[in-house]
Amino acid sequence: MRNYSILKLVAVIVVIAVCAFLAYNEVKNNNIRTGIDIRGGVYAILEPDIGKTSLSAEEIDKGLESAKTILGKRLDAKNIFDRSINIDSVNDRIIIEIPWAAGETNFNPQDQLNELGKTALLTFQEVDTDKVDENGNYLPTGRIVLQGNQVKDANPAPYEEKGGWVVVLELDQSGVESFAEATGRLIGKPIAIFMDDHFISAPIVSQKIDGGNAIITGQADASEAAELAATIRSGALPFRLVATKVDSISPQLGAGAMNVAVKAGIIGFFLICLFMLLVYRLPGLIASIGLFGLAVLTILSVAWTKISVTLPGIGGIILALGMGVDANCVIYERIKEELREGKTLRAAIDQGFHRAFTAVVDSNVTTLITAVVLYALGSGPIKGFAMTLGIGVAISFITAVTATKLMLQGVTGISAFKNKWLYGVK
Amino acid sequence: MKQLNIIKNQNKYFFISLAIIVIGLIFYIVNGVQLDIQFSGGTRIMIETNGEVDSNKAEELVESALGKSVTAQTQKTNNPDAEEEVIYMLRLDIASEETLTADERDMVVDIITQNFDVKEGGNQEMLSVEPSIGRETLLSGLKAVLIASVLIIAYVTWRFSAIHGLAAAITAVIALIHYILVTFSLYPIFRLPLGEVFISAVLTIIGYSLNDTIIIYDRIRENTRLMKKSTLEEIVNTSINQSLTRTINTSATTLITLITLFIFASVNNISSLVEFSLPLIAGFIAGVYSTVFIASPLWLMWRRRAAMKKTPKKA
Repeated sequence: MRNYSILKLVAVIVVIAVCAFLAYNEVKNNNIRTGIDIRGGVYAILEPDIGKTSLSAEEIDKGLESAKTILGKRLDAKNIFDRSINIDSVNDRIIIEIPWAAGETNFNPQDQLNELGKTALLTFQEVDTDKVDENGNYLPTGRIVLQGNQVKDANPAPYEEKGGWVVVLELDQSGVESFAEATGRLIGKPIAIFMDDHFISAPIVSQKIDGGNAIITGQADASEAAELAATIRSGALPFRLVATKVDSISPQLGAGAMNVAVKAGIIGFFLICLFMLLVYRLPGLIASIGLFGLAVLTILSVAWTKISVTLPGIGGIILALGMGVDANCVIYERIKEELREGKTLRAAIDQGFHRAFTAVVDSNVTTLITAVVLYALGSGPIKGFAMTLGIGVAISFITAVTATKLMLQGVTGISAFKNKWLYGVK
Repeated sequence: MKQLNIIKNQNKYFFISLAIIVIGLIFYIVNGVQLDIQFSGGTRIMIETNGEVDSNKAEELVESALGKSVTAQTQKTNNPDAEEEVIYMLRLDIASEETLTADERDMVVDIITQNFDVKEGGNQEMLSVEPSIGRETLLSGLKAVLIASVLIIAYVTWRFSAIHGLAAAITAVIALIHYILVTFSLYPIFRLPLGEVFISAVLTIIGYSLNDTIIIYDRIRENTRLMKKSTLEEIVNTSINQSLTRTINTSATTLITLITLFIFASVNNISSLVEFSLPLIAGFIAGVYSTVFIASPLWLMWRRRAAMKKTPKKA
């Protein structure tokens, strides 16, 4: 029986040590993802600018999905692979996070913004011939004939009839229909092509086009035609995206905050251990080991699940550590009470854990409820906080209750550790 | 062991809380509360300069160029890459119904670059928030707190049905609201800008404070069973006192962490962490106070009133 007890103690310590080793490796290999607020980068919320057009919820969802793919492709083309693009389907928006590349020296948020803002919605519009800007180009009217998402493919081709280059557009079924209708109606009039609100060209309709292909003339040379075709292909966004929030954070300042938070965390951890040791003696030492286990398990789960740690996320971890310490305080005070009543060590420990259990369960469950609600409803920073808090509280339940219980039971099996003084009584 | 008689002195404790909240309210009416760009919407531009610059001058220059109201301030941060080197940032907050256009932002950067000693290739930060998104962030945060409160009431009502769960749940939530009000009071009193950090701090303390309250209620629940002959008042007092050591020890460990974070952040001039840890420390103390001196006495008052209402019916 005694040997079995010691085995429990050794087993828990070995597990924690192994986890600590794994966690150390994850940290050393930089496998902890950090949020934009720490590593620096651009965080932006993009919302579809639906304007006067009426889209069904389904169309918006589909549109956001393809916008996400397109944004991804654009970033691929710029060799930015380490980014995250998420659709917030509750609020119909796209949240995009692009960290600064390693060795990036141009931290001008403006440049990044311009890159993000280039959303290129291609439209063919009816225009009023008397409404032109200062350069004589037609102004967009919003009377849309054809949209980028009705274009299946776009390719440059030599213009056989008159020489030069054109872009050939292959239209989908709905595109063919609407283009045939409009070209039939607008013979002799221009249809202008816009990229967002930017005027591209305005070919005059010479005849009704119902073959499924349309061409954009007016290309200066092969490379210009190829460029326009590529923009149309990757730029066929179903709607324009408007950045409603842009946060651009310098990597140096974020890293500074992270360093300080980690340093404070380590020192705080040792101070807590010292406090627990002084107040609770032997169980305090065991609580410290449990707390250490909580810390390494949190690091491991964050590394393995690839969650980004943000500054509020660190707040969540600190709160979870606090909850872990608290569970130990509640249990140990109970054990002391039982010891004062004259119970044996073993009975006091069992009773202490048993009677503190409901309190610890209730306080952890209410915290988990908070974490889940915040995760489901909160926005960016609040989600980060809720995520680490939830994980931490779940882990703290294992380390502060189960692990410390096993260790305490193990320790009491060793005769040298049976003195009640070691447990804080007299 | 000497026992604190919390119930006997409850009016004193209620008064202290009320006084802080009323002072906060007066300051709120006089000063208003300044919402950060994150919530109010607008544009924030931060530019690194060589050494401290005259923020008043920057404010005037940018204000006259944009025709919008501007708040400028300088911030210092220790350089994480080089010890004992300080990064000076000039921060411009332009709160308005519309965020600055790209041209306007370029103009602001140009004005600052022409008039001040801007560090070449230095840090630059920009935050641009449409007012609608800012309001939404604030509202979604509040909504989350509200829904979490309702679920907690439901859970506590169920778990603490032995001690009249609804009374326990609602008084626990009142204690939470009390602490949120006390923490909020700090913002108008000290003219702190209310931003996302406030929401995080509130959420953190909700966790702790609720935890404290539940530990005490757990004791009341247990003691109602064990101390059948005692009055409610005795049960509540005993329960608070029995868990007092635990409350003190837990609070001590948490305060150790928070104060360490605060000291580190202040020494290294990390404003985001100072803004996070300061309301946490204040809120934490208010949270413990809420639990010990507000939640349980309120629960007792509720129970007594309920008992008084019932008596005549029986007669």
